[in-house]
Amino acid sequence: MIRLALHLPMLNSQSSQNQIEVGDGAAIPHKSDAGLFTAWRIAFFGAIVLCLFLAFGRPDQYMAIFMFIPDGILVTFKVTVGAILLAIVFGLIAGLGRLSNNRFINGTASLYVEVIRGIPLLVQLFYIYYALGRFVKIPDILSAIIAMAFCYGAYMAEIFRAGIQSISKGQMEAALSLGMSRRQAMSEVILPQAFKVVLPPIGNEFIALLKDSSLVSILAVSDLLRRGREYASETFNYFETYTVIALIYLILTLFFSKLISLMEERLNDGR
Amino acid sequence: MKFFRFLSIAALLVVSLTATALAAPKSIKVATDATWPPMEMVDVNKQIVGYDIDFLNAVAKELKIAVEFKNTAWDGIFAGLDSGQYDAIISSVTITDERKAKYDFTDAYTSIGQILVVPKTDKTAKTIADLKGKKVGSQIGTTGTMEVKKVVGVESKTYDEIGLAFEDMAAGRISGVVCDEPVAAHFALQKKEYKEKFKIVGKSFTKEGYGIVVKKGNKELVDLLNKGIKAIKTKKLDAKIHTKWVK
Repeated sequence: MIRLALHLPMLNSQSSQNQIEVGDGAAIPHKSDAGLFTAWRIAFFGAIVLCLFLAFGRPDQYMAIFMFIPDGILVTFKVTVGAILLAIVFGLIAGLGRLSNNRFINGTASLYVEVIRGIPLLVQLFYIYYALGRFVKIPDILSAIIAMAFCYGAYMAEIFRAGIQSISKGQMEAALSLGMSRRQAMSEVILPQAFKVVLPPIGNEFIALLKDSSLVSILAVSDLLRRGREYASETFNYFETYTVIALIYLILTLFFSKLISLMEERLNDGR
Repeated sequence: MKFFRFLSIAALLVVSLTATALAAPKSIKVATDATWPPMEMVDVNKQIVGYDIDFLNAVAKELKIAVEFKNTAWDGIFAGLDSGQYDAIISSVTITDERKAKYDFTDAYTSIGQILVVPKTDKTAKTIADLKGKKVGSQIGTTGTMEVKKVVGVESKTYDEIGLAFEDMAAGRISGVVCDEPVAAHFALQKKEYKEKFKIVGKSFTKEGYGIVVKKGNKELVDLLNKGIKAIKTKKLDAKIHTKWVK
């Protein structure tokens, strides 16, 4: 997994060197970036046209695949949205914990981030699903969501921490001098500003999570990839099935990356 | 310069390795999904063992050919045959009409049936149909899955490995598992962790023959293997292997 290098002031304070930035999701198109914009257009509309062509031009091979997988798309969607929402909660708590002056809370939050970021997501999924299954009874989709959120929460925590640290110290000092408590200053002054900063990286995490959600197919969760594999394993049409699966993932990620770039533009307009 | 020297050595190595592989006389590469005990599994010494392995080794001995086993995930095992990564599959593959349309099979070398395993706490279920409205697990793309899907009202859940289905039933997420009879016996009657929890209900409800799978049109290999299977059966060696692995 290649993570987005956060472009926040506090992170690269000694950044006189050049820094490369590599995104995790599909290249998010910006208006200024004409080449990428064309690439996005070609990929997105090309994928849609190809899907339509396969479904209607070669119905005997492909129509059955398109009929088989829609409920899988819904499950992929459920897992992704559920996991990102829960990951934001985990991330916010852990991110605030990482900034806490209380050594115990700070230590716990840091430990969570370090441990989770050091274990591959695939291993964590197996672990949370099967190991915890011995002690607690959680339905399959929910345990998949919890496992994904637990992992992504650690990455989210770093985003929140960096986002909060990017807000100038003067803001906190000013709030405190107005007689606000630290908690009040955090929730009413710092966090609302920090949210604006962290939204783009969270959007990027969302795209990454959408793709990583394909890993839950190993947990017998009937997501998009699992439905495709079930179809392929009975019809032996591996090539046709995985072509369709890849196209659908591509359309989904490109659609959401566009949505995120629109959201970013909105945010920047508001400034 | 050094880099190019390294590249050329690497290329030479690859070429020579492929060349030796091609030159080796009368050796076949066979894929198996070693997660299906006692038919095929990986033992504590990391060796692939089991009924199918012993059987094919006996066939190979009879035919005086060498066999190399390749542990391959079940999901996609047929695709590897298409792309020529191995010559044959011996992995408890039931001979079905759908599979015969795409691949060639040897004669059946043993016959088994599908059977249902449920938790001991379930006092009523006798067949898959008794589990309507519940989830029943099986390994992806197996005849077990096809049997579960035939029953309307039962939700089919497919797993990459049958062991994961049993583990999920132990965790209470599914109400039954359908698989080949010897495999069910291995998990529900012999495995320490599961012996207390699971039971086999009823008798096996299908009659299936296992065959060795080869690429469509590879008549030469099918004939060769059939010759070996016939010899093993006449010598009654298969009965010996059966008592060794299946009780």
